[in-house]
This record gives sequence, C-alpha cells and structure tokens, in this order.
Amino acid sequence: MDAVTGESQIVYDARGLVEPNAEVPKISSIDGTKAEFDANDLTTRQINLELRWLINEQGITDVTVRNPGAKHSLGVGILTRCKITFDGSLGYFGCGVIDGPEVHIKGRVGWSSCENMMSGTVVVEGNAGSLTGAAMRGGDLIIKGRLGARTGIDQKGGTILTMGSVGANTGFMMQRGRQVICGDAGHGLGDSMYDGIIYVGGKVRSLGIDCVPGEWTDADTEFIDRKFRIYELGTPPAFQKFVCGKKLYNYDSLEPSERKLVL
Amino acid sequence: MSEATTNIANERHNPELTIGISAEYLAGRRFDYQEDINASADVDLLESTPGQDINWLEDIELLAEDGVPAVFDRYSNSFIKIYFEIPKGQENEVARKVLLKHLQSGNSYGIKLKEAHAKFPQPELGPWVKDSRIVGTNWKPSVLPGWEMPEGH
Repeated sequence: MDAVTGESQIVYDARGLVEPNAEVPKISSIDGTKAEFDANDLTTRQINLELRWLINEQGITDVTVRNPGAKHSLGVGILTRCKITFDGSLGYFGCGVIDGPEVHIKGRVGWSSCENMMSGTVVVEGNAGSLTGAAMRGGDLIIKGRLGARTGIDQKGGTILTMGSVGANTGFMMQRGRQVICGDAGHGLGDSMYDGIIYVGGKVRSLGIDCVPGEWTDADTEFIDRKFRIYELGTPPAFQKFVCGKKLYNYDSLEPSERKLVL
Repeated sequence: MSEATTNIANERHNPELTIGISAEYLAGRRFDYQEDINASADVDLLESTPGQDINWLEDIELLAEDGVPAVFDRYSNSFIKIYFEIPKGQENEVARKVLLKHLQSGNSYGIKLKEAHAKFPQPELGPWVKDSRIVGTNWKPSVLPGWEMPEGH
C-alpha cells in the first residue's frame, strides 16, 4: 500500500482493513506444539496475524506473547481450542469474538475485553475496564482484580467472575448467564435485566429496575464451589443472589425472532 | 409420506408460513441423531469443551419449538428438533449431546457457509473437532454477474 495522508485517501482492502503491513512476521520461536514471540515491535495486525498463523497453519496449541504492550484488539477472532498467554497487559477490545481458546493475561485489560466471547476461558490477573464481557455468549471470564462499569452489558450467556468490585450498571440488560462479584457492586446492579443470575459477596449500592433478590438453591452452591475450585480461588465468600423480577420484560410476549436473539 | 416428513416439505415450500427456522429445514433433511438417542450417546461433553467443566454448554438447555423438544443451534440461529423420547432427568444432557453431534458432524448451516464466505482462516468445524481443516484462506469478494460499479466510485 502506498503511503497516504488524510482519511479520504486511505485505501482499504476487501475485508475493510487498513493497516498497511499485512505480512505475517513469522518471528516466533517454535518448539513442538509450543511457540513464543516478542510483540514489542509489532503492530496490532501483525501480532494477530502471527497468532493466527501459528494456531491455524503451524499446528501450535500453546502460544506465549511477550510484551503485548497494552495494544488494542489483541487475540481477537481466535476460533479454535488452544492456550494463549499474554505476558503483560492488553488495551481495548482484547480477546473479543473468541470461540474455544484458554487465555491467560498476566497483566490488566482495557475496555470491552472478551466482547462477544462464544466459548473458552479467559483469566486476567489484574483489573479490567468498563464493558468487560459485553454481549458475552458463553465460557468463563475470570478477573482477579476489579471491574469497571457496565460489566456484562447485554450478556447472553457464560460466567463473569471477579474477585474484586464492579462499577455502576453492571449486568445492564443481562439476558442469560451468571456473574459472580466477590466485592461490592455499584449503582443500578442488573438494571433492566431479562434473565440470568448475579451473585454479590459485598455491598450493593443500589439495584436497577426489575433486579430483585433471588432464592438460593443447591444448584447455586454447586456452581459457586465448582468455579472456585477449578480456578483455585480459595474459599468463596457468602453471596447474595439477584435475579430478574420479570415485571419489566417477559419472553412470552416477545416475537419468536426476538426470543432467538437471547438464546 | 409420514406426518413429520410432510411437515418438513410444507416448511420447505412455504417458508413464509413458518415462524421459526429448523435445522432440518436449512439442511433439507432430518438427521439420525434427531430420531435415535444412541446416535449421539458417544459425545463426550467434557472432552468437547474448553476448560475443566462443560463451559459454554452450561447455558444450553432443552427447549421446545412448535411443541416439539428442541435444542437451539446459535451458529445457524435454528432449532434442532428432537423426536425420540428423552429419559427424565437427562433433558439438558441429551440436548447438549444432540447439539454437539450436529456441530461435530458439520451439519450446522453456519458451518456449510464457511467454505464460501469465511474471510479469515479458521477451522471449518470450529473448536468442537481437533485438527479440522482450515477454511477462509483464499477469500475473494463475490461478484454479481453483469454488475458494474456506478460512475464516480
């Protein structure tokens, strides 16, 4: 691509991508089914191209990315079973639209990580920004630090578990799935939720519209114990359970096509 | 022609009359795992999903479509109807096995579309099957015969 100046002169490729260097760097050191590379001097696109080349074409099932440098949109669109370790922090939209990988992020993540995640596991050692797990459909998202506002907005499945506190409007318009919050929850918890379950170990500043306390069952205990055991999170605190009061929305009154959107 | 087959034929010929979309309507046929519980009995739910539990399948439950037990395939936005008798207490497990059999067999309509439309390299059978072949390595934008770009573009 020729050098360009000004938005109007940018040339997009057929996929709508603009970043000039579309060559796979092929800089990884590969040992059997494991690989490792340093992302310090690579652009976002180069890092993602390298990841996909390793996973889709080289048969690598375990990749470590050194120095991710909090770049945005890393590890997106990985649609297969594999292990990915980011030895550092990610920027916005990290690990979005993934289906299958088991990701370990040793730092923190910015806004909207794991947006639209379909399946897999993501463990973040640090904090995460707002909109974490937005529109998430499945899998486990474990945040060992704190979370920002609107965590799991429009969540359609899966589990978001944080050892810390969450910001305002967490679980806004949640439609399915589960959130486990070991710390406190900000104002408007579960506002306008359709369905799903939110567990809170700390204090709730205020509940959102149609978010009400739920009845604890053996299934809740089994679920909490299992997730804490799998991710070695210690002994779970005592939780309050919150669910949808079903006063605001009711699936039965929705058109069938709308109902499918939340399955 | 059995009543079930007639219903499929009617759906196929009158799609505007159908409210939902069934997997068999998209495929044009019914699959053995919809009619025989043994056809999906070999599916290992733990082995087929990431992590140490059943991961995304935790949200998959037995539902009903058109009054028939069914499981929803989110990869094609359609219901897979189940016609055999489901043992009590195993509803969700059976639904999950039928869904995974459908995906692992490559019968989901979303998988059928990958060959022609996947823009990026990805396993054809997604994360459900090991060593699945890679599709989307040579995507080209489709061309409408006879279409020309309007002047000025």
